[in-house]
Amino acid sequence: MTKILTKHFDEPKLHELETYRRLGGYEGLKKALSMERPAVLEEVKKSNLRGLGGAGFPTAFKWSTVPPEDKVPGPRYVVVNADESEPGCYKDRVLLTRAPHQLLEGLLIASYVIGAKDSFIFIRGEYQIQYEILEKAVAEAKGAGLLGDVNLHLMRGAGAYISGLDTALLETMEGKKAWPRQPPPFPTVAGLMGKPTVVNNVETLSMLPFIAREGGEAFAKIGSAKNGGTVLFSVSGHVEKEGVYEVPMGTKLRDVLALAGGVKGGKKLKCVIPGGTSMPPLLEKDLDVCLDFDAIRAAGTFLGAGGMIVLDETADAVEVAHNIERFLAHESCGQCTPCREGANWSERILERILEGKGQAGDAENLARVGENITGKVICALGDTVGMVTRAYISKFPDDFRKRAANHG
Amino acid sequence: MKAFTDEQERVLIDWTKKYPYPNLGLIEALRAVQGWHRMVTPEAAARVAEIFSLPFNHVWGVATFFPTFTRWKTGEKRVGVCHGLSCWMKGSDKAEKRLEKTLGVPKKQATPDGKLSWETMECLGACEQAPALLVNDRLVGPATEDAISKLKP
Ligand SMILES: Cc1cc2nc3c(=O)[nH]c(=O)nc-3n(C[C@H](O)[C@H](O)[C@H](O)COP(=O)(O)O)c2cc1C
Ligand code: SF4
Ligand code: FES
Repeated sequence: MTKILTKHFDEPKLHELETYRRLGGYEGLKKALSMERPAVLEEVKKSNLRGLGGAGFPTAFKWSTVPPEDKVPGPRYVVVNADESEPGCYKDRVLLTRAPHQLLEGLLIASYVIGAKDSFIFIRGEYQIQYEILEKAVAEAKGAGLLGDVNLHLMRGAGAYISGLDTALLETMEGKKAWPRQPPPFPTVAGLMGKPTVVNNVETLSMLPFIAREGGEAFAKIGSAKNGGTVLFSVSGHVEKEGVYEVPMGTKLRDVLALAGGVKGGKKLKCVIPGGTSMPPLLEKDLDVCLDFDAIRAAGTFLGAGGMIVLDETADAVEVAHNIERFLAHESCGQCTPCREGANWSERILERILEGKGQAGDAENLARVGENITGKVICALGDTVGMVTRAYISKFPDDFRKRAANHG
Repeated sequence: MKAFTDEQERVLIDWTKKYPYPNLGLIEALRAVQGWHRMVTPEAAARVAEIFSLPFNHVWGVATFFPTFTRWKTGEKRVGVCHGLSCWMKGSDKAEKRLEKTLGVPKKQATPDGKLSWETMECLGACEQAPALLVNDRLVGPATEDAISKLKP
């Protein structure tokens, strides 16, 4: 199967500049720098690269919304989002550990196109090992004269999931509480310190060296319609072989599951969370769903950030939903009342059901809490609160009913 | 009493100069404070506010928002066990009990010698090593019985 990001992962010293360059590293940057900036942007556009941080936003389109220097003079920034905190997601950690130069090369290509002289990598504080790998890689690249006139800054987070949302990331960087901003303006117009800022995910930027080297069309050809290239899935839970798997966009869920060795111990599948716990689960009947940002929508869920969690028949939907709502309640930034209160209520109602004290109307109450959040809050975390309870109640009504019957 | 040593003051001032704007260094500065004091006290936050020319309530608001910064004193070794979904599926409950038993203290309370503390954490980005264990921001693999017993000096 075609691989882009993990192609050389059997090289033990891929994280070192020498090895990375021997395998063609920084050739993409060289080529990009020899082209006019709009021509590089055109290749990214042709590539159909979509943002792999969760939203699937077309990368070239995001970049093209940065106002040109003659209209808005002054600094502009590129920020790498390495906050990776969605439960189930760990592919960025693997990319940072094994291929830091691939990310740096991508970041330098993006900085060239955007015209950024200061670029940032914001990495979650719990990735101290990866932070040190990055520090070393930046020093190596600098020593080899690869950074040109770009200042690369590293910055660590402080343990809040919401810092991963782009506008909250910018607030965190500015030394404030990680309260998401209400766009517009979007970060590409007014981002870090009010300056035009592109925020991209680690995996997204890591794709750029290939696109610059081989051309946008070659990348687009690997994927499916409007979804260029490959995508990484970090698989965990009840599978034989947990790990990160790189597959072309549009690969069937069944095939990714097979790469991970299938359900552990030959047990029956209960469901698969495709992209991190904020995404509604898929069932056995959905195994032929094609995994790209658009096709998966037809099955009522999202690709997210490729955090695939496999649950076998022993899993209990009430317990699972409770674990996710507990997380959301803990991580709600508290800025919007419906989200702050609603996430807490959802957690408490589910906890009560778990304790065998479920009441008639609990499902309706959970649904109402969700409705009172959706569309009435600033960010997608709030919307997730209702989406998760709705999904588990509707897909596994028996698990909820059973508890009611057991404890009458 | 001064909140910081002269050397620590220098480190904090350096964080005001590291990035294109001073405030961009605030989170890193507070991370340094948490590392030195194993917590962030109002006195320390007040001095950081002076160094960054920010109001105290801004810095205190930030310090009380982020889980990395604590108002209780962590152990020198700050241990976290993940209870996110993948880790919970693989026995994070058991790992919590084992941590409490082995370290002899409930969560969010340092051992009497100040060497160790433990707490639950949200997804640590190591879901394939469930239940993931973190020691001073370094992922150390699954929280097995062996890994937990090795935490003690
Ligand atoms: C609650 C929430 C948390 C998020 N966390 C992350 C994250 O940890 N890493 C990330 O790259 N994107 C995260 N995102 C998506 C970002 O807001 C943003 O879309 C992304 O970084 C843009 O990069 P991309 O276009 O390359 O995907 C999150 C979004 C939401 C709603
Ligand atoms: S929806 Fe929730 S997490 Fe998002 S800004 Fe509002 S309170 Fe914060
Ligand atoms: S759920 Fe524990 S590390 Fe991700």
